[in-house]
Amino acid sequence: MTVAAAAGRAEAAAPDRAARDARRRRGRRTGRGYPLFLVPGAILFLAVIAVPFGMNVWISFNRWQGVGPMTWIGLGNYRRLLADSVFWSSFWHNVLLIVAMAVVPTVLGLVVAAALFDYLGKKFGPRTASVLRACIYLPQVMPLAVMGVVWGWILAPDDGVLNSALRDVGLGSLAHDWLGDPRTALYSIMAVLVWIQIGFPLVVFMAGLQRIDPTLYEAAELDGASWARRFWHVTVPQIRPEFYVVLLMCTIAALKAFAPIYVLTRGGPSYSTDIPSYFSYQNFFEKTQVGYGAATATVLALITLVITAVFVTVQFRRRDDEEV
Amino acid sequence: MLATGRPRRTTLIMAALVAATTTLTACNSSGSGSAAGKVLTLWHYEAADSAMGLAWSQAVKDFEAAHPGVTVKVETKTFEQLQKTAAMVLNSSNAPDILEYNKGNVTAGLLSKQGLLTDLTPEVTQYGWDKKLSSNVAVTSRYSNGVMGSGDWYGIPNYAEYAMVYYNVDLFNKYHVPVPKTFADFTAAMDTFVRNGITPLADAGAEYPAQQYLYDLALSKADPAWVTDYQIKGKADFHDAAWSYAATTLADWVRKGYIAKNSVSLKATDMGNAFESGKSPMMVSGSWWYGTFESEIKNFAWGTFLWPGSSLVPGSGGNLWVVPSKSGNKQLAYDFINITLQKDVQDVIANKGAVPVAANPADVTDPKAKELIQNYDTLAASGGLAYYPDWPVPGFYDTLTAATQDLINGKDPNSVLGSLQTAYQQGLNQ
Repeated sequence: MTVAAAAGRAEAAAPDRAARDARRRRGRRTGRGYPLFLVPGAILFLAVIAVPFGMNVWISFNRWQGVGPMTWIGLGNYRRLLADSVFWSSFWHNVLLIVAMAVVPTVLGLVVAAALFDYLGKKFGPRTASVLRACIYLPQVMPLAVMGVVWGWILAPDDGVLNSALRDVGLGSLAHDWLGDPRTALYSIMAVLVWIQIGFPLVVFMAGLQRIDPTLYEAAELDGASWARRFWHVTVPQIRPEFYVVLLMCTIAALKAFAPIYVLTRGGPSYSTDIPSYFSYQNFFEKTQVGYGAATATVLALITLVITAVFVTVQFRRRDDEEV
Repeated sequence: MLATGRPRRTTLIMAALVAATTTLTACNSSGSGSAAGKVLTLWHYEAADSAMGLAWSQAVKDFEAAHPGVTVKVETKTFEQLQKTAAMVLNSSNAPDILEYNKGNVTAGLLSKQGLLTDLTPEVTQYGWDKKLSSNVAVTSRYSNGVMGSGDWYGIPNYAEYAMVYYNVDLFNKYHVPVPKTFADFTAAMDTFVRNGITPLADAGAEYPAQQYLYDLALSKADPAWVTDYQIKGKADFHDAAWSYAATTLADWVRKGYIAKNSVSLKATDMGNAFESGKSPMMVSGSWWYGTFESEIKNFAWGTFLWPGSSLVPGSGGNLWVVPSKSGNKQLAYDFINITLQKDVQDVIANKGAVPVAANPADVTDPKAKELIQNYDTLAASGGLAYYPDWPVPGFYDTLTAATQDLINGKDPNSVLGSLQTAYQQGLNQ
C-alpha cells in the first residue's frame, strides 16, 4: 500500500519532472537565440567606442601631427604628461568641477527636492511644485553655448549684470572681474555649473520621493519627528539608490565637461580654469600634437573608469550588506 | 554577496565605459564629392556680406562668364571647421578643387609638408602672380619643408592685413588731444585720457588683442632681422632688449591705467564693442575691423594712424587660396585664382574696407579706403609687416594669451618672459 502509494506518487511526479526538463531544454534552446539580439549593439559598440578607443591608445604611443607619418615613441607622451604642471593643475581643477557638478548639486538637489515634495507641494499643491521643478530643470535643456554667452554677460567686468547689481545695491566694493582674476575664475565657473547641474538630481530625487511609502512619514510624524528628522531618517535612507545613480552620472559629466570652459574662459586666465578635456582638445587641434592629446585623453578615460568602478563597487557592497 | 549583483554591476560598468569613452570619439568630418569635369568645387569661410565674400562672388561670376559650361559650386565652411578637419578631408577623396586656407607654418605649412597641397610655383611664373604680390606678402605663400618664407609657392592671397591704431576723433577733439605723431605724443595722449577718467586703450586679454599690444611694443624696439630670427629662424631670445621692454612696458601701462586691469577675461568682440560704442578713445588691432567699423559706427567720427615711432607692425598677407593635391580640376582652380587677382575683384575688396594685394590706390573711390591702402603700400614697400606673435611654433597662441593675462594681472614680467622662452623652445623641438 505504502509502496503502491509511493509508486503512484512517483508516477505522478515523473511527468512533472519530464515537463520541467522539457521546459528547461526549451529554455536553453531559446536562450541560445538571445546573443543574436546583442549583435547590433555590439557592432555599434565596436565601431563607435572600442575601435576608436583602441586607436586613441595606439596614437598615444606615437608622435604625430594629425597627418603624415607617425613616429613610435613608446611611453614618451606619458612621461611628458607626468612632468607637465599644466596638466596636473588642470586635473586638480577637474576635481573641483566634480564638487561643483556632482557633490554640491546632489546635496542641494536632495534638500530642494524634499522641500518641494514634502513642504511646498503639500502647502501650495503639486502643480506649484511641478512648475518650480520645471524652472529649476530648465538650465539642463538649454544649449550650453547659449548659457555660456549669457553668463559671460552676467559676469562681464565693467557692465556685467552681477557687477551692476552689486553697485546698485551699494556693494560696489564687491564688484570684481569674476572670470579675469585667476583667484575667482574657477569658483565663478563652479557657481555657474551648480546652477546648470542642479535640475538633474532634483528631477531624479522628486521621482524617487514619490516611490517612498507615505505611511513611513505618517508614522514618523505621529512619533513627533520634525521635518528635518523626517528628512534625515526617512527620506535620505529611502532615496539612497537614486543618490548613487545621480552622483555617478554627475561625476562622469564633470570629468567630461568641456563646453562650459570652452565658452566661458578657454582655460584662462593663465590656465587657471584649464581642465584635462580642454587640455587634450588644445593638443589635438590647436597644437597638432595629436599623440600627446591622445595620451591625455587615454589617462582621462582610465581615471573615469576607475572612479566609476569604485562607485559601482561601493554601491553594490552597501546594497549587498543591507540585503544580507 | 548576492548573485544578482554581478550582471547589474557589469552592465553599469559597461554603461560607464560607453559614457566615458564617447568623449574620445567626438570627431566628425565633412566633405563633398569633388566633381570631375564641369564643376569647380570651392570652399571658403568668409561671410557672404564681407569684403572677401562679395569679392569672391564677383570672381565666381567672372569665372563662369570666362568658362562657359563650367559651374562653380561654392560651399561655405566655418574657419574652425576647416582649421580642425582640413588635414583629414584633404587626405581623402572628398577634397574640394580649391579652398581658402589659413596661412602660417602650422596650417598651410604643415599641409604642404605632408604633400596635401599642389606646388603652384610653375603657375606663379606663368600667370605672373609674383609680380602682383610684394615680397613681404609672399612670405606666407612660400614654404620650404613646412616653414614659411622661402621655397615653393603653395598658396596665393587676395588681401593683406596689418595692425593700426583706430581712434575716436570726437573724443580726441573733446579732450583737445592731437593725433600722435611720435611715441611721446602717443603716451601724452593716453595720459590726458587717464586724467579725465577714461581708459585710453580698448583691450581683450582672453584673445589675440593683448598679445598684439605686447608684440607692437616689442616691434617698436626691433628691426627686420629680429623679426626673421623670431618668426622663421627659431632664434628668439625673450630676455633681449625688445621683449624685456615690451613686457615691462605692458605691465607699466596696466599700472598707469592705459589698459584696464579688468580686460583679462574679455574677448576680441568685447574690445571692438568698447570702441564702437564710443567708450574707448583708441584701439590697436588689425585691418579686419575696418569694414565693420565703416558700416557700423554712425554716431562719431573715427580715423586711424600707424603705431607711432615704429617701422614694423603686426601684419601679413591674408589667408590663401590653395589647391589640394587631390583636386580634380587643377587647371580651372589656377584660372580662378588668376581671376581673383584681377582689377574688378581687387576693387571690390578695396571699396568694402579691406586691403587688396593688387589694387591701385588711384582706382579706389572711398577716401578712407584709399588711406588704408596707402598705409599698406608704405608698409609693404618697406617690409614693415612683421606677421603675428603666435606664428613661430604650434600652440604659441595659448601660451601668449596666458602670458599677457599674467602681465595684466601683475605677475613679474621677467618670469612671464621665462615661461615664453620655455614654451618657444618646446615648440621648436616638437
